[in-house]
Amino acid sequence: MSGTQTWRQWLTDPSPSSRRQARLGQWWLAWLRIKRNNLAMAGLVIVGILLFAAAFAPWIAPHDPLVQDLSRRLLPPGTPGNWLGTDDFGRDILSRIIYGSRITLYIIGLVAVTAPVLGLLIGTVAGYFGGWVDAVLMRLTDIFLAFPRLILALALVAVLGPGIENAVLAIALTAWPPYARVARAETLTVRKSDYIAAIRLQGAGPVRIIAGHIVPMCLPSVIIRVTLDMAGVILIAAGLGFLGLGVQPPLPEWGLMISTGRKYLFEQWWVATMPGLAIFIVSLGFNLLGDGLRDVLDPRSAAR
Amino acid sequence: MTPLLDVKNLRVTFDTETGPVEAVRGVSFSLGRERLGIVGESGSGKTMTGRSVLRLIRPPGRIAADVMRFDGQDLMKAGEREMRALRGKRIGMVMQDPKYSLNPVMNVGDQLTEGLRRRDGLGRKDARAKALAALEAVQIRDPERVMAAYPHELSGGMGQRVMIAMMLIPEPDLLIADEPTSALDVTVQAEVLSILDGLVKDRGMGLIFISHDLRLVSRFCDRVLVMYKGKVVEELAARDLMQARHPYTQGLLNCLPRIGGDRGPLPGLDRTGDWATEAVA
Amino acid sequence: MSLIEIEKLSVTFQAQGREVRAVQDVSFKVEARESYGLVGESGSGKSTILRAICGMAPVSAGAIRLDGQPLNAGRGFARQVQMVFQDPYASLHPRHTIDRTLSEPLAIHGIAESDRRVVKALTDVGLPASFRFRYPHQLSGGQRQRVAIARALMLEPKILLLDEPTSALDASVQAEVLNLLAALREERGLTFLMVSHDLAVIDHMCDRVLVMQHGRAVEELARADLANARMKTDYARSLFEASADRLLEANA
Repeated sequence: MSGTQTWRQWLTDPSPSSRRQARLGQWWLAWLRIKRNNLAMAGLVIVGILLFAAAFAPWIAPHDPLVQDLSRRLLPPGTPGNWLGTDDFGRDILSRIIYGSRITLYIIGLVAVTAPVLGLLIGTVAGYFGGWVDAVLMRLTDIFLAFPRLILALALVAVLGPGIENAVLAIALTAWPPYARVARAETLTVRKSDYIAAIRLQGAGPVRIIAGHIVPMCLPSVIIRVTLDMAGVILIAAGLGFLGLGVQPPLPEWGLMISTGRKYLFEQWWVATMPGLAIFIVSLGFNLLGDGLRDVLDPRSAAR
Repeated sequence: MTPLLDVKNLRVTFDTETGPVEAVRGVSFSLGRERLGIVGESGSGKTMTGRSVLRLIRPPGRIAADVMRFDGQDLMKAGEREMRALRGKRIGMVMQDPKYSLNPVMNVGDQLTEGLRRRDGLGRKDARAKALAALEAVQIRDPERVMAAYPHELSGGMGQRVMIAMMLIPEPDLLIADEPTSALDVTVQAEVLSILDGLVKDRGMGLIFISHDLRLVSRFCDRVLVMYKGKVVEELAARDLMQARHPYTQGLLNCLPRIGGDRGPLPGLDRTGDWATEAVA
Repeated sequence: MSLIEIEKLSVTFQAQGREVRAVQDVSFKVEARESYGLVGESGSGKSTILRAICGMAPVSAGAIRLDGQPLNAGRGFARQVQMVFQDPYASLHPRHTIDRTLSEPLAIHGIAESDRRVVKALTDVGLPASFRFRYPHQLSGGQRQRVAIARALMLEPKILLLDEPTSALDASVQAEVLNLLAALREERGLTFLMVSHDLAVIDHMCDRVLVMQHGRAVEELARADLANARMKTDYARSLFEASADRLLEANA
């Protein structure tokens, strides 16, 4: 690698000199493809704003989200200092939404690292081994798929008590089966390829084959599904919050805010509507991003 | 005599994220009621050339040509509706693998009669009779059974014959065959080619035969166009093939192993000439 | 004692409740350092025999012996027998760099000095070392097939199984790859068992040929027999005639 190469040349070098350079080069090309899709970029911007708000909440929120000021209850949006209005305890809605993004991110982050990973593991193992392993794992998947999420959440809350971690657990336990199905379907196709036959012929064992050869081929479908599922996860968390099963007051979780704002829906509509809009926009962002990622990560175009 | 197909300076360009890529770079040829072979390796642009005539290239691909005329009609200016009227009816296309070009969920009879009934307005009985006649013309001995069968139930050779029958029912003036026998076994290839040969001669059709097999094309066609990287490098009569002048054509002729030939290293293609190293603009 | 012995081999698949007899009662022997060809059209069972040797097809009768020993699917097998697959677009993992594809067999068997060996493997098949960290989609078909050959030779096997190694390649590239295979066989004293539908390729590369049809062995021919058209069976003759080079005959 010559010292005078710009980073862009380094990334698009047709003969990379290390695995890292090769991999980063591929990511750069994928980024160029995403950039061409305007809707995907819009989604990326929205998700970016979510991440930014969550990271810098203490610095960008104009007020403390928990401090009450009963003299300033139910002020409408556009009031100087409270651009989105205040709720029934006088708390600034904008600040609560910004801090609430942290909770939203926490929930979807936890679900995103547990459910797909579990689903991927079960799906690839079932698909690779076939036979009774496949049958047992798929029946297990069917059982979990049959659980309605809210009922399971109610049951968990009844046993373990309400709280954000239990809400996440409930969501994760019912979110993994579709990933298992997707991973299994991909595995069944990939299993028949010549490159799998070649590595088996070289003496590789099942762990190396599944982890190193099959999982990378399943990842695009799983990643796309995760982004598209994010919208659903946010809504379920909001639903649980709405029912009082997840996050507890006074935490500014968006679903909980809608629930408490319900009483004022006709006169002081902003108390429930603002968090609702936040949920809508973030869900939309993830959906757009997921659609864009599908175009980029689609194995048909990537595995040319 | 006006040629059946006249093409001048055909260019096909694809817009990719790393810039435009030209698949066909200025190809010109004309065709009467004769058999023209277009030979090239993968990436030579031969398939794109065949598809351009039927304007079957979708964005991000673009077709441009100074002239592209079929029997006097300007193909570049024709609208989509006019192209649809041409496709199938006056210009037919036979593709490589019948597994992928025949509809897998319809039986053969339905596929053969669909065009006749929708496009030509024939009744069920007339359409069926025509379809049976077409199957007999491609030497299928039990056409009734084949009519009732689904594509996956037919062998490769049979499927390709059905494909040819399907394309010849509307009696087109020009047939474009894109590697029609490449997916077939060697003993079946000869049969299918002789059927195609007979039909083309009988009906006085023009034929564009696209293939990677130079020897096969030379046996079958009157004239041969040799393509490399989007350009025509040589055009000659099939019987003059052994006197080919261009190094690429000579290389293609000589690099194939022959039964009974010597076992020394096969002569490769000398890719150092100007024609090979010229950059793809 | 022959290096590869196939004795009355039968391979039967169960598909949708029906039995498919892909290979029926086929026997042949391959001597050490020999290049043996299996030729036939689709459905002849030739590729299935290769898969049976690799343990990837259900053997219903008969025996396969390597160097006198019955097949043993342990680690040692990988260091005796390797295979080059037909489709260069499907035989390399699309998400792995060439470097990873070539060094993985070494990692599996704990062979050291993988850096040096990978670079040497690339140059042995005529590819520049700068290709090391490319992905398969950045290589042409011929280049990918060279990588597949390099991969097969990483574990230094004695026997190379070749399943139509050049049918998916352009004619000019085919010539280069065939030359490469012949040269490597000469240098390393390898034994080839090659499958093809193209009689001319088999004639060029192999010492003896077994013609197959519908799962059965039809006729075994030595190279001289093939060149002089001394076939005994009708099918072998019809295959020969369809493949022989008659360049200008029909056009005269």
